[in-house]
Amino acid sequence: MQMFPKQEVVAMLLAGGQGSRLGVLTKKLAKPAVPFGGKYRIIDFPLSNCVNSGVEAVGILTQYQPLILTEYIGNGQPWDLDGMHSGVNCLSPYQAIQGANWYSGTANAIYQNITYIERYDPDYVVILSGDHIYKMDYNKMLEFHKEKNAACTIAVIDVPLEEASRFGILNTREDGEIYEFDEKPECPKSTNASMGIYIFSWKELRKYLTEDEKNENSSHDFGKDVLPAMLAAGEKMFAYPFEGYWKDVGTIDSLWEANMDLLDPKVTLDLKDIYSRNPMMPPHYVSADANIQNSMIADGCNVEGDLEFSILFAGVTVGKGAVVNSSIIMPGAVIEEGANVQFAIVAENTVIGKNAKVGQSPETMENRDEWGITVVGENTVIADGVVIPANRMIDTDTEVTAE
Amino acid sequence: MRSNDVLGFIFAGTLDEKIPELAVSRTTASVPIGGKYRVIDFVLSNMTNSGINNVGIVAQSNFLSLTDHVGSGSAYDLSKRRSNLTLLTPYGGNSFSNAVETIYNIHGYLEHCREEYVLIEQGNVITNFDYNALFDFHSKNNSDITFIYKKCVVPAGYDRPVTLEIDESGKVNQIYVKPDNMAEESNFMYGALLLRKEVLMNEIREALSRNQLDIKRVFQETVGKFRAFAFENKGYTSFVSSINAYFSFNMDLMKKEVRDELFDPKRPIYTKVRDDAPSRYGLESKVKNSIIAQGCVIDGEVENCVISKGVYVGKGARLSNCIVMQDSHIGADTNLNYVIIDKDVQIKDGRSLMGFESYPSYIAKKSVV
Repeated sequence: MQMFPKQEVVAMLLAGGQGSRLGVLTKKLAKPAVPFGGKYRIIDFPLSNCVNSGVEAVGILTQYQPLILTEYIGNGQPWDLDGMHSGVNCLSPYQAIQGANWYSGTANAIYQNITYIERYDPDYVVILSGDHIYKMDYNKMLEFHKEKNAACTIAVIDVPLEEASRFGILNTREDGEIYEFDEKPECPKSTNASMGIYIFSWKELRKYLTEDEKNENSSHDFGKDVLPAMLAAGEKMFAYPFEGYWKDVGTIDSLWEANMDLLDPKVTLDLKDIYSRNPMMPPHYVSADANIQNSMIADGCNVEGDLEFSILFAGVTVGKGAVVNSSIIMPGAVIEEGANVQFAIVAENTVIGKNAKVGQSPETMENRDEWGITVVGENTVIADGVVIPANRMIDTDTEVTAE
Repeated sequence: MRSNDVLGFIFAGTLDEKIPELAVSRTTASVPIGGKYRVIDFVLSNMTNSGINNVGIVAQSNFLSLTDHVGSGSAYDLSKRRSNLTLLTPYGGNSFSNAVETIYNIHGYLEHCREEYVLIEQGNVITNFDYNALFDFHSKNNSDITFIYKKCVVPAGYDRPVTLEIDESGKVNQIYVKPDNMAEESNFMYGALLLRKEVLMNEIREALSRNQLDIKRVFQETVGKFRAFAFENKGYTSFVSSINAYFSFNMDLMKKEVRDELFDPKRPIYTKVRDDAPSRYGLESKVKNSIIAQGCVIDGEVENCVISKGVYVGKGARLSNCIVMQDSHIGADTNLNYVIIDKDVQIKDGRSLMGFESYPSYIAKKSVV
């Protein structure tokens, strides 16, 4: 039998959800694999956090559309997660003697991989999700967990009171001990929003996962089932206050905003020490006709048009006279001459034809309430001159021609 | 012959003495170029893209930056069970002072490699070249030794160039070392050639026995003795043989046709990558006709420049016709024209520096201006 050196901490990253609120962006890939910030994918953030916190065993639970994600993770080398006895593993649902089961909930996904976790004989398990943009030292949180001698520690961030009802709110005593969970409360009692980052002492978690599995009425979800059960049983559960940039990017609006935050000098998120795979492309070229203000550009781009408040991923082409404003252009997309892209997300390898117009600014709307970000799915062609107004979602692999 | 039967062999220090500023602490092969590359990336990538999976690099001195850059060779896919990159440096007092002795002194390495052929290349050549066409040509002509050449005026910096006189079939009739008429276009042989390992070793041993230490003469003498052929490199090629050549190659990158050819996505140029974020352009930035690598913050004006990774250009700074190497810091309200700025340089706020097109000024690594 192969022996694995003990790991004090094992991280389990929940990456199996569909992320249906991202629409066409997650039609062909799992949410954690959605491109972010000009060269990253969302999962680079929790993965880099793990490595930078000294967590060297990471299991990624995949289920929905795993191809792009597993290919991207590969052997984990870009994150230094290719150790001889530890590293990153993609864990998909599997068939066994007793049958085959999809992951029926977040807790069930961990339950089905107890064998994986126990190879490392860990004292603690960190549960992470693949849809948040933030930098965090999980070590500090672990210190806090140990100090409090907790069974479970949940990272929380202070949110504005008026937004608190969108989050899972944790009500705590003065020392941080949790006495109540309030999932999306109408009248929030506090502003401690759960960040979806949990540290468990493994012995306790194992016990509650096993019990939860036997409970036929359970949906096998951490937030809905396991955490309330632990609280009801009187386990010591603490809220760990986190300060810094943190953003859930589960919706088109929040994904767009988080990207735009990178262009805002007031935002504190520093991309240093976030690791990713790097495509082999030359530095980008900016022609004499281009005008670029307040934007981010990755390698391999060719810019001949105007950019403002925009993010170009690797290998994007912006033709002469094209205008890209407040938009996110994903790898390999082409914005042809004279096209106008505003307040839009253009997915990978999509072509916006000459003089086409995609998206519009809120100011140009007759009815502001109908405004929204326009999204064009991957491998799509928007033919020359076609106009696509605000708040539209164009499917992947289609051709949109003028009627 | 198959490409996996060819050993790639690169001389890293070609013409080091012609770019004394840039090569003061490195070999020509590891001079930073094109915003994110080192010169050797081109030849190395050409080799792996052509299916060569064993490469030796000869470096006689100053090879720290080279070792740091190529590392185990993994960036070029040369660090696997069946592919290798080996750095060959002087050892045990053996002389690496000329190519003949160098090759002789590493005969152990050459004999150990299982490949039957050796492709010799130079560390100062920038081109995107498919060696498979060369291998086909070599086999088809039943050639013993095939030289690669470029039809051009011999570039400045080559004091003793080698040129070839060839017939229509590509057969070499005569090899000239330092020919009289260098002003006209000739078949310039820049030190790249393909031959059987056994032939190479025999010729080197034989040359040493006659105390012939000039490799150009050794090759010159192969004509008549062997079937020698010449294969033309018709693609874009640049030789780092002087500061001006270095400067003008960087400027050539502003041409779309040069970029499209050199960075053909089907034959990518690999390099050691650093995890830099995409580059950020500030609200007052103004960039025209420039190459910009990742990890930069551009708040000033940049025109006709190559800006490497991690460079900062401050507000109100005006850079034109400059090459800025990685992690240099260009302060606010500076004014720079025709300047080559090496790595980790700090140009303080308000400074002005001017070179001239034919004589770009150079700021050494880690200087503070």
